[in-house]
Amino acid sequence: MPEAGAPEPIARLIQEFSKLPGIGPKSAQRLAYHVLRAPEDDARALGQALADVKERVVLCESCFNITVSDPCALCDDEQRDRTLVCVVEQPLDVLVVERTGGFRGLYHVLHGSLNPIDGVGPEQLRIQELLRRVEAGAVAEVIMATNPSLEGEATSMYVQRLLQPLGVRVTRLARGLPSGADIEYMDDLTLSRALEGRQEL
Amino acid sequence: MAARPRVYRAEGVVLRRRNLGEADSILTVFSGSEGKFEAIAKGVRKARSRMRGHLEPLTRSRVLVAHGRSLDVFTQAETVDAYRRLREDLDASAEALYCLELVDRFTEEREPLPELYALLVNALELLEGGKGASVTRHFELRLLALLGYEPHIDGCVACGDRLPEEETLLSPSAGGLVCRECRPEAGGGRIVSVPVIKLLRFARRATAAEFAAVGIPPEVQRELRTAIAELVRYHLDRDPNARRFVEGVSALDKGE
Ligand SMILES: [Zn+2]
Ligand SMILES: [Zn+2]
Repeated sequence: MPEAGAPEPIARLIQEFSKLPGIGPKSAQRLAYHVLRAPEDDARALGQALADVKERVVLCESCFNITVSDPCALCDDEQRDRTLVCVVEQPLDVLVVERTGGFRGLYHVLHGSLNPIDGVGPEQLRIQELLRRVEAGAVAEVIMATNPSLEGEATSMYVQRLLQPLGVRVTRLARGLPSGADIEYMDDLTLSRALEGRQEL
Repeated sequence: MAARPRVYRAEGVVLRRRNLGEADSILTVFSGSEGKFEAIAKGVRKARSRMRGHLEPLTRSRVLVAHGRSLDVFTQAETVDAYRRLREDLDASAEALYCLELVDRFTEEREPLPELYALLVNALELLEGGKGASVTRHFELRLLALLGYEPHIDGCVACGDRLPEEETLLSPSAGGLVCRECRPEAGGGRIVSVPVIKLLRFARRATAAEFAAVGIPPEVQRELRTAIAELVRYHLDRDPNARRFVEGVSALDKGE
């Protein structure tokens, strides 16, 4: 609903802001009037950044992380161990694992976790792509770094069963991570310890 | 009338979770005393949340809930059973998720169904104990019965005649087994074998454990599963989402 009384362009901006997660109608209004009062350059920079994020950010064809160049910088890095693949739910999780500095392999981003009740099955995730990557032969170990939630665990077990016939080693992050957490909210120490203590599935 | 208490206690199984904002979740809980209800768990996705882990889907928990203006709010949660062995078994997890979805789809909010709750807890315990798909079959049939959708299987649902011991039409729309004479007016269904009819009858008086103890040949299992799936589909007007997952998982097991 456009704000009664607000001119059309500002009403539209309020409406767009209010679609963002965690932004209620009041915050949307505040943000819109902030943009209105901001210097023209700032407003243009915001618009350009919004346009770029959709135009220039693509998915890496190998690991499905978000990137501006395909293959992404991680996949393109000759120094990284190509026999190790760390499987995560979200692109943000790659950043978190990278921050620990404890992992020198490659990644695979599933873009979610299995949620059978909500209708998120294997075909909605980048699971077939992972299978093909492992089938190509260079991967010796797949480390499942999905969230320690019901969905993350189910995803991890499903991938393990899917990859089993290929004879690749499938491990997962060690237990001790609190159940029900998002990897995004985990501290670096916990996460790097978890990486060290990974186990056979 | 007494004023509504500010808080209430409940024991239930968490059916599903929906994330809200940065760190909150809305959980759907099915409890014996309150029936199904939704409430918000504030900050539950933060690493230091005390409630985290106690409000995961597929966890049986005791909760304390405060009435809120729009949504109720969890103030405490304590695990009764996290079904750890169940969670570590992909097939059992798939069956359990399917049971949770059935409860979610077949129930209305705030409608206490203590018998269905007991049935669910019992089914989860048996799945945890390594009993397989038979537990789910029993659960489906008992759930349908508790909610008033039990198929009529003692005689022909249309004319009331006794049924000979032979393959018979099971018609979801007619509401049960249909004799040969009434078949043309039955409005669809599926022909079920004598073993399936016997299992449908046995499920009415058997506990889940007794039902799961019966050795059922794979082809009868399949037939029973399909027959019950049609009853479920008829009453829900759709298939539960988790059914595909259960099938996908067991297909993987058999080497795709
Ligand atoms: Zn990449
Ligand atoms: Zn008849």
